[in-house]
Amino acid sequence: MLRFEDVSFRYPHSDSSVEHLSFHIQKGEFVALIGSNGAGKSTISRLSNGLLKPDSGTVYLDGTPTTSIRTSQIARKAGFLFQNPDRQICQNTVREELAFGLRLMGLPEQEIRERTREAIEQFSLDGDWFPFSRSRGERQRIALASVLVCRPQLVILDEPTTGLDYRECTAIMDYLTRLNREEGLTVLMVSHDMELVSQYAGRVLVLTGGQLIGDGATHDVMRDQPLLGRAHVLPAQIPALALKLDAGAKQPQFEDVFTVEEMFETICRLRKEMSATAGKGEVLS
Amino acid sequence: MNLLQYLPGNSVLHRLNPVTKLAAAFLVGICAIVSHSVVFTISLIILLLGICTACGLGKRALRLTRSLLVLGGMMFVFQLFFVRSGDPLLSAGGFTFVTRDGLSSAVLLGLRIVATMLPLMLLFAITEMNDLCGALVKRLHVPYRYAFIVTTAFRFVPLFTSEFHDIEDAQKARGVEYDGGIIKKLKLSVPLFVPLMMSSLKKVDAGAMSAQLRGFNLRTVSSGYREYPFTAADIGCILFSLLLVGAAAVL
Amino acid sequence: MIRFQDFSFRYPAGGSQQPAEFALKDINLEIRDGEFVGITGTSGAGKSTLTYSVSGLVPHHFAGDFYGSVEVNGMDTVEVHPEQLAKFVGQVFQDIDSQMVSSIAEDEILFGMENFQVPRDEITRRLETVLEMLGIASLRRRQISSLSGGQKQKVAIASILALQPDIILLDEPTGELDPESTIMIYEILRRLNQEFHKTVIVVEQKIMVLCAYVSRLIVLDKGQVMFDAPARRITDEIELFQSLGINVPRVVELGQMLKKAGLYAGEIPTELDGAEKMVREVCADAAV
Repeated sequence: MLRFEDVSFRYPHSDSSVEHLSFHIQKGEFVALIGSNGAGKSTISRLSNGLLKPDSGTVYLDGTPTTSIRTSQIARKAGFLFQNPDRQICQNTVREELAFGLRLMGLPEQEIRERTREAIEQFSLDGDWFPFSRSRGERQRIALASVLVCRPQLVILDEPTTGLDYRECTAIMDYLTRLNREEGLTVLMVSHDMELVSQYAGRVLVLTGGQLIGDGATHDVMRDQPLLGRAHVLPAQIPALALKLDAGAKQPQFEDVFTVEEMFETICRLRKEMSATAGKGEVLS
Repeated sequence: MNLLQYLPGNSVLHRLNPVTKLAAAFLVGICAIVSHSVVFTISLIILLLGICTACGLGKRALRLTRSLLVLGGMMFVFQLFFVRSGDPLLSAGGFTFVTRDGLSSAVLLGLRIVATMLPLMLLFAITEMNDLCGALVKRLHVPYRYAFIVTTAFRFVPLFTSEFHDIEDAQKARGVEYDGGIIKKLKLSVPLFVPLMMSSLKKVDAGAMSAQLRGFNLRTVSSGYREYPFTAADIGCILFSLLLVGAAAVL
Repeated sequence: MIRFQDFSFRYPAGGSQQPAEFALKDINLEIRDGEFVGITGTSGAGKSTLTYSVSGLVPHHFAGDFYGSVEVNGMDTVEVHPEQLAKFVGQVFQDIDSQMVSSIAEDEILFGMENFQVPRDEITRRLETVLEMLGIASLRRRQISSLSGGQKQKVAIASILALQPDIILLDEPTGELDPESTIMIYEILRRLNQEFHKTVIVVEQKIMVLCAYVSRLIVLDKGQVMFDAPARRITDEIELFQSLGINVPRVVELGQMLKKAGLYAGEIPTELDGAEKMVREVCADAAV
């Protein structure tokens, strides 16, 4: 779906750059891009949707290099949700806002009305709202709806939950997860919130100083503390706890523990094993 | 890159009193307007470029000159065809296109544009807005409120340009095509003014609150911490500028 | 010392709309000198309005229906101007960039002191002190636009500290910062609170940060105080937090699960070390 081949890019008049990036995101994946501020996360997301063109190397979107198609054509395949919804929203009503992208695609009026109505319902919005007077969370939801109403194959989210409270954040992430599972929507999410990443992403790309230093299943990356340290991100609590518990143990018991539920189950299992082998030495050293 | 942006530095020009810089820019501008000599105006531009290069600002000055030459060139063309007096230089089919007076006044006008704008734009390159504001209040007793408004407006320009740029990017990512003609681009830009206005209003309001809570309204002329003394270099610079004005009037 | 008494506030309705909901309703709070208070809640809960009420921007900048009273160091915020309050209360706003009034870091710090007519040598002294306190002496001549988010935030805090307020209000100071800078800012706030005895009031979404740093946590919902206790007491009210849409640290969730299952009876931890101890205890328990 999205493939970077030895991509380098440097901003003019600035030191920030990304260098020799190569990775391949398959259709239907939910990938998180993590790293501290200034690591090059936003640059990658802008390279992905053609807002920036690589200095060298090639970015392929659905098999086509981004340099050979126009940004507007890319927009049909790849939706983009900015950190700040206020840059995206430009119409006076939610209904118009949702229809805006569809009009740009040149869809027939009938279909535009149909899809807009559906999206308003799905995102529990009100078509008559004046977007700018809504709360930050609602504006983010409106922006997301206006991206997803165009039914892109890939959606790129740049720190999608900044300024949102937990409830709003969960609502948005759950919705994306559903589309990802049920309709095979490919998701690339830029974030430094490891709780969010560990909960939702299946694969993590780790970035620091414009270079890709890690790429693997979320489980593996979360347990690789030196790697996270190099990227200046804090590990999520439960994986970090699992690591702490396994530290120095002869036999790691918490290797696959990732969520609160898994942690709880593992503890119960260990207790059972231990009471069975009580007196024959500790399982958890 | 913004042409009005401040370039930090420590050259002789940078260290001049902001009031001196303002006055000198103004006086050099007057020179260019007063003088009727093409040679003098060209020399003036070369002199300005020379001084800038000596102060390590050569690159910026050349860039400014280049962009000003475009403007000057446009004025040149206008003037060339509008002035009808003088001997014909280029005529065809009984109609005079260019006259001698037209050519000379067009050349002069084009050069004047460059020579008046260049020092003003350089002023922004070597003067920190806060210093200009402070010096105007301290030395010229301009009311702080006005000085602050003007300097803040200039400070907000790059903020707004980058905001506008980001908004444009967001719209591009949604599939709005800007790579058409200028009319199409303008038409497409109109909806962007809504988000730009909204975010600008919010920014200005936050700025106002933050200034208010830090006692903006209590400020008086004597409040400024920095002193802006006039030094020998300042006097020299002003004298030199006056000399140039004199020369311009005579030549 | 800040005292809210039966305080309610409502922003004016725009145009012909019906009057807006109360942004804050029936607030009775007392914040003593030297406290480190965290305020959290979903968006629209009234967190920012609460900070504005302390700094006097409500009702002097934001007009509206104001009921009850807010006192700061014995002064009624309705009666004194925000400028007068500013000697006691400093506020750092949510939008880092637009609250700056200067383009050079040092000038930003000077701005307030100049306005308040602080004597020259006193200004010099305070400038050095705050630069040193925040470790930004090397940034003093830098253009603010060239600084990173965390550095800008430090400059903003320094410019407030230069006015030597007793109370510092911060509205989501780390909203746009990465985890490393977030911790850096909170370490500074902790120092200000513990070493310099400032009252720190911070609006924050990141619950783990609140658990780690603040001594008192206030949770607002729809303009009302729903929780007001030491941060570690969130373990007593997990259901309340969940029903308000505020997340609790994962280890707290774990603790709650273990407790419900009857496996653990001790105090639920909010951070990693405590959680490790809890799990080891629960497991060791079975071996006996």
